[in-house]
Amino acid sequence: MGSSTTFRWIFTVILTWLIQVLFLRDLTIAYFAFCFIYVWPLIKAPIDTAPAYLMLGAFVLGWLVDVFYNTHGMHAFASVMMAAFRSPILRLLTPANGYDERSNVSLNEMRPLWFFTYLFLMLICHHAVLFLLEASDFELVGISLLRAISSCILGMTVFGILELFNLNK
Amino acid sequence: MNQLFQFLLRQRNFLLFFVLELISLWSVYKYNDYQRTLYFNTTNQWVASMLAQKQEVLNYYQLRDINRELAAENAQLRQEVFQLKAKQVPDLKLPYFINEGVLNRYQPVACKVIDLSTRQTQNYLTIDKGTKDGIHPGMAVISSTGVVGKILSCTENLSLVISILHTNNTVSAKLKSNGELGYVKWGGWQPEVAEMMDVSKYKKVVKGDTVVTSDYNAVFPPNVPIGIVAKLGLKKDGNFHDIKIMLLTHFSTLQYVYVIKNRLAWQQAKLEQSKPKPE
Repeated sequence: MGSSTTFRWIFTVILTWLIQVLFLRDLTIAYFAFCFIYVWPLIKAPIDTAPAYLMLGAFVLGWLVDVFYNTHGMHAFASVMMAAFRSPILRLLTPANGYDERSNVSLNEMRPLWFFTYLFLMLICHHAVLFLLEASDFELVGISLLRAISSCILGMTVFGILELFNLNK
Repeated sequence: MNQLFQFLLRQRNFLLFFVLELISLWSVYKYNDYQRTLYFNTTNQWVASMLAQKQEVLNYYQLRDINRELAAENAQLRQEVFQLKAKQVPDLKLPYFINEGVLNRYQPVACKVIDLSTRQTQNYLTIDKGTKDGIHPGMAVISSTGVVGKILSCTENLSLVISILHTNNTVSAKLKSNGELGYVKWGGWQPEVAEMMDVSKYKKVVKGDTVVTSDYNAVFPPNVPIGIVAKLGLKKDGNFHDIKIMLLTHFSTLQYVYVIKNRLAWQQAKLEQSKPKPE
């Protein structure tokens, strides 16, 4: 990726991280839906990003979130998991004519069906792992999964809206 | 050897994944252990200063609520003064006297909340006093309205508090009206509601009764309010009451807390250690 794209990406990382730890931390809908906006850069990373870089980035990002959440490695674990599953998911969802070399993950270039399927798979990867690990209690599996799914739906809504701002540019 | 390197090179992504996940998991299990010194959390100086800035801004918008809470606390204190004044005439038949040391054993230290969470299954608070102010792990933390939690770890100027909104943190409790013992545990969901466990179904429990900390509590002073009995039912196994209580501490607007220093804690611990162990 070009240097301007890199800078933009790093800017997105810092911005989403700040929003996450300062504003979204205490925000929830009925204690079931949580918004994890910090995974946005991982979802939006260019398709040709090397998985190794993405995983390292995810680890650092997750760790930075952990420090503010007092969760010690749980977010790091979940985001590395998500970064690792990214290439299998992309392979699974390859469009009929393959990925363009310069294509990005966006509503502009992909069809909505593709985009939201991709969002859902990525988010559920992250959220399911995160909530199960956070509860780490068999009695709470039901609540954790419910939280993961409702957070997923919230995430898809929020990221969908964010993506609308980038439309037709 | 060459083949091994080739293999490792081919699998480098997977290896990286494995190593990173291992580090994360190790950290999850290592630091979730109680009483450990933690540094990668909100007692970290940089993190705390950032959160303190945010809290400063929020405080401004919550002044009205803080005022109201202070007024309520004043009222309660005044009431207690009246009660104590009324009690000054000893009405005990037994020649019981309380010695100075026991009377003054609890000393509260007011602390400001820098950071708190209520939305996770394991919640913590960060407060702005540490070992420099004589605070140590294991001390009780209460608010003007009720129980908050206990100190998990301290740095020089800051402390991390494990909230009662933590599914592994239980508090020994009793019902105020009849002294029935049990313990209070949070269910991991709504930050206003906790459960009181271990109260036999043959005991009388009424809605609206206050749940307070019990006298046999190693951490909390006795009779600190925890919550109000809000809903009654029967546990699935049929032997215990299923008691839902509304917590009296409003975690979402918590600004100041009191850390309770127990001057006799070490004496009590020493005595209890000297118990003969069953063979």
